[in-house]
Amino acid sequence: MADLNQLPDELQLATAQHVKYIQSLDTRKDEYDYWLTEHLRLNGLYWGLTALHLLRHPDALPREGTIDFVLSCQHESGGFGAAPGHDAHMLYTVSAVQILALVDAFDELEKRGTGKLKVAQFMARLQDREKGTFAGDEWGEEDTRFLYGALNALSLLDMLHLVDVEKAVNHVVACANFDGGYGVNPGDESHSGQIFTCVAALTIAKRQDLIDKDRLAGWLSERQLPNGGLNGRPEKQEDVCYSWWVLSSLSMIGRAHWIDREKLIGFILRSQDIENGGISDRPGNMVDVWHTLFGLTGLSLLGYAGLDDIDPVYCLPKSTVNRVLGKSM
Amino acid sequence: MYPSYSIPEVALELEYRPYFINTIKSNMASHGIARTIRGRTDQQRLQDLEKIKIYRDLESQVRSRAALGNYDLALFNLTTKLLGLNPEYHTIWNVRRRCLLSGLLPSPLDEPPSLNAPASQAQSSNAPSLNSDGSVFQSELTFTIPLLLKFPKSYCIWSFRKWVLSQAILRLQAPIAREIWESELGLVSKMITRDSRNFHAWGYRRFVVAKLESHELQGKSMAETEFTYTTNAIERNLSNFSAWHNRSQLIPRLLNERGADDKMRAAFFDRELNNVREALDVGPEDQSLWSYHSFLISHLVDHRGRQTIVPALTLPERTAYLRREVDEIKDLLEDYPNIKWIYMGLLECSLGLERLGYEVDRSSSSFHGSETWLLKVRALDPMRAGRWIDMERDMKRVEVRQGTLM
Amino acid sequence: MESLSAETWDTAICGTGLSQSLLALALSRSKKRILHLDANDFYGEHEAALSLQEADAWAQAHAGGGATHHLDNQLAEGENADEDVTSDKDKLSVAPKLSGKKSTIFRNAHVWKHPNAEAQGLSFPRAYSLALAPQIIHTKSKLLSQLVSSKAYRQVEFLAVGSFFVYSSTDAVSGTRLARIPSSREDVFSAQSIPARSKRTLMKFLKFVIDYDSDEQKPIWQGSADKPLSEFLVDHFKLDDRLRDFIIALTLTLDGKVTVRHGLTTIHRHLTSIGLFGPGFCAVYPKWGGISEIAQVGCRAGAVGGSTYMLDTPASIDEAGNGGDISIKLSDEVSIRTTTLISSQQIRSTTSQSISRLVAVVNSPLQPLFGVLAEGAPLPAVTVVAFPPGSLLNNTQLGSNTPVYAFVHSSETGECPSGQSVVYLTMQTIPLSSASEVLDMALTTLLQAVPATGEILYKLYYEQATSSRQSLVTSQGDATVFEFPSPSLGLAFDDESLDAVKEAWKIVMKDEALDNSFMKFEDREGMDDDDDVYD
Repeated sequence: MADLNQLPDELQLATAQHVKYIQSLDTRKDEYDYWLTEHLRLNGLYWGLTALHLLRHPDALPREGTIDFVLSCQHESGGFGAAPGHDAHMLYTVSAVQILALVDAFDELEKRGTGKLKVAQFMARLQDREKGTFAGDEWGEEDTRFLYGALNALSLLDMLHLVDVEKAVNHVVACANFDGGYGVNPGDESHSGQIFTCVAALTIAKRQDLIDKDRLAGWLSERQLPNGGLNGRPEKQEDVCYSWWVLSSLSMIGRAHWIDREKLIGFILRSQDIENGGISDRPGNMVDVWHTLFGLTGLSLLGYAGLDDIDPVYCLPKSTVNRVLGKSM
Repeated sequence: MYPSYSIPEVALELEYRPYFINTIKSNMASHGIARTIRGRTDQQRLQDLEKIKIYRDLESQVRSRAALGNYDLALFNLTTKLLGLNPEYHTIWNVRRRCLLSGLLPSPLDEPPSLNAPASQAQSSNAPSLNSDGSVFQSELTFTIPLLLKFPKSYCIWSFRKWVLSQAILRLQAPIAREIWESELGLVSKMITRDSRNFHAWGYRRFVVAKLESHELQGKSMAETEFTYTTNAIERNLSNFSAWHNRSQLIPRLLNERGADDKMRAAFFDRELNNVREALDVGPEDQSLWSYHSFLISHLVDHRGRQTIVPALTLPERTAYLRREVDEIKDLLEDYPNIKWIYMGLLECSLGLERLGYEVDRSSSSFHGSETWLLKVRALDPMRAGRWIDMERDMKRVEVRQGTLM
Repeated sequence: MESLSAETWDTAICGTGLSQSLLALALSRSKKRILHLDANDFYGEHEAALSLQEADAWAQAHAGGGATHHLDNQLAEGENADEDVTSDKDKLSVAPKLSGKKSTIFRNAHVWKHPNAEAQGLSFPRAYSLALAPQIIHTKSKLLSQLVSSKAYRQVEFLAVGSFFVYSSTDAVSGTRLARIPSSREDVFSAQSIPARSKRTLMKFLKFVIDYDSDEQKPIWQGSADKPLSEFLVDHFKLDDRLRDFIIALTLTLDGKVTVRHGLTTIHRHLTSIGLFGPGFCAVYPKWGGISEIAQVGCRAGAVGGSTYMLDTPASIDEAGNGGDISIKLSDEVSIRTTTLISSQQIRSTTSQSISRLVAVVNSPLQPLFGVLAEGAPLPAVTVVAFPPGSLLNNTQLGSNTPVYAFVHSSETGECPSGQSVVYLTMQTIPLSSASEVLDMALTTLLQAVPATGEILYKLYYEQATSSRQSLVTSQGDATVFEFPSPSLGLAFDDESLDAVKEAWKIVMKDEALDNSFMKFEDREGMDDDDDVYD
């Protein structure tokens, strides 16, 4: 591979190729990997669709087909699986709600699904009412990712009252570390991904006052490496996906200007596959829809031209969040 | 046996295993894999189709059997095959759990564990050979090891392992369950040796230790041995932020359990501070070291409502500590003149002194205060200019609102 | 034998040294008709690993000047006597020998055996495998990546090279005379005997070396690139004597006068090799005799690929040959024809340095030298001990300005039975035949410094020089003769020798030689990777 850090300055966002790449994802049924990753299908749809909205091609995937597929993943319990026949899980349920929010189809839940309430109850039941934590499913794995997911989807559904938000907030606070960051569980080291979930959860709960903002932002800003990319923890490699976890956290607490904007833009653009579309974890590597979305959300937070604004709390276009939450534009 | 080294094994260990937040993503997809020309040969295409057929046949067998609700040994064996092909398939792990619960595991203990209870009670209706001696738990744990070595950051596998272990507590006499849990420490050490920063493994270690310490497993505190474990991990790799972090988590409990009085606490604090400063001698650019240094400094200045290591230090003692730190860190500048982190350390200590109300002679020619160090930091770190500008603005306010660092 | 001469061979390779054997590997999928010969009845040529019996015979053959010709005595007497060697080539024999027994690369060999060797534990001769030119292979070496891409690595068992020690006769501080060289930050951090200030200067230097070739660092050293490294270390980095000895030892150079440029290159290689294959170690050593093992693997690949192998087959160019081919005489009855002839140079160059080697079998495992380097690291099988110039006690002043290196091999190398070790000592040959005394002294000193007792059971001493450092290519009509240079005298494998292999490969392959296909093969059938298993 040629040294991709040396690409020309005039590097542009390859919008048309990215759209084509995302459209092609569901046509690869003759590839073994397509089947090995079926447990990510619903998430993949969310990643791809959100990316298309940011790229201003919201209709590049058919709306009806999208809704049909989402509803085909729903269980009687109200929860969603990754694909038909897959067990329900918090992560898939959140993706389902986000997709339906994107295509403005909550009413389809009432018409053809179990109804909003049951979806919300599925998630609410996963809260441990003593500790405030959330499990991913009936088997009990706990993680602040699930807590955030629940608060995200429940607030979109306007059903936050079904859970004990205060207890959830207490748990997030217990995950805080001396360095201002947050870990998977109380006592675990700070990690950019987990920081995003905790800061976003506190933001949804309107409790940002509990965040040690300067210290946290200091730690987050040190995630930027000389090549412009961001890493997830000290002494680790950079990766495009942290453009989202780190930068969204900084944005939420009003410190996005604590990193070098131009350098990060350059890093993300260099990670594109200019010919075939898609963005990879770092320049020269294989692309996938996950890094494609988080490269684009990163660019969007940086105000890169030609992209719609992303909401740093919900990881949905701002216009979607405003519509759903009834805010004025 | 002599461990000879073969190249491919080694290469595997070097592979970058990334972190996925939003989901249980397969690392078969794309992290850290060089971009190659897309497009397969006809032969590869045919091979793929063959693989897909085998995989989907297996999958549909599992599904149709599970749909009948018949979670028997045959279905269990099918999950073994399918998970071997795709250990990220969360639903299949659930099928496996259901199989185990439908008779493959020994029955739950009816009474809380008691030392006087008979060691084994063959009660299981279904699989007498896999009974209360814990062998089924062992075989489940053994099953996941090769998968874990291949997918060290797979949420599914770690979580299945936790579930099996929690079942062991419910279904085995405490001494037997404890043995199973104890051997987990061996596995987790191995995983940490392979990747000293695998946060799944570190989190799992804390989880296992907490259980081993708990009443359920008739345990007692392991703070001392765990503390030693972090010392060893740090001596192997000073940049092991995960180990430094765990160390910081253990200290308050360690001191309480030692019944440390004020003098012992101060001595402990001194030793930690000296230790990290010696590490800074050889690693002045290392964020892990500075972070731990900062952790210690915060116990002098601002422990944020947490239990401090050294509650009895007087104000003059605390300022004396900080002044010594300033001198020691300044000494690093002689050998390492242009390292931002050193100036950030000085900035932090100076801000700490100011916060403690320490009066400096600003008219002295040798005066260096937080402003001086901030200027250097700004000059050396243009990437974070926004942060340094904000900090300067905050420092200029009449009431010096104490900024915090690192 | 008739089938040998029936058709013209695409290439005849003479000698099974590493270069020729790697060439055999490179050609093993080429469908070329290849005849691979060696005059010896063992593989490896100058890099062979010998049983004691073979070593005895070999020492006898190389007792004088190695080759039994009239120049021997003159050569041993003075340095200037070398000058006519190459020009006398033609006198050596009417038909130039193409490999093996007539080499002048080695000379002055002799063997010593403990009078009660067997009673002291010396085992049967085949229990030993003594490497003539042992080299460690840095994990960064291109040799390893070529073995991987050619899939030949599967047949080699690699062992870790462990600690590097420096001997000091005066170091009373730590109570030990063998100090381990700290080469990572963690080593430096936990080295009790180094004061804090020295730790910083050492770290500064180590960090500098890691990217010494960057635009930022180049100006620091380029001005003194050809000056001695030892001065540079003192002038620019203020290293004390002890740290300087540490750093110089890492270069593994035998004259103690390594230049800044060369020194930085080798230390860089050392440091950046650490941890590449696993925690703690920087180099590997192939089990069962080092480089010779790789030579055998190369030949095996050649044989699997259809080449014809003949050991114990001396060959010479038949001057009476005609036409576009080269005719090679294998015996009085058999001559073969080939379009390319590959061999290695057997004649020491007039300008060659000479090194003295002492290989010793010791009846102790010397356990204290083989500590594990880091958790999760393999147990090392090779340890390096450097004796800096002037460190050996001597009353004759001999060798006081020349460093000595000892590679200590544990029985895990398969080179000796368990409970014993093989020590390979090397230094620059010094006048008046005193090198063997210095090496003996180093060996005794080493055994005294290790807290373990051991008797020397067997010793093999010899001197090694090199041919010219270039490959020699000559044309005879349409045919080409290519001669590899003899192995380098370095203690670590030198990647430059791989260039000659590629050069030879291109000559044989002609226009089929595609640069990016060199040494890149798929696994042969039945050797699949650990693919997903279906049943």
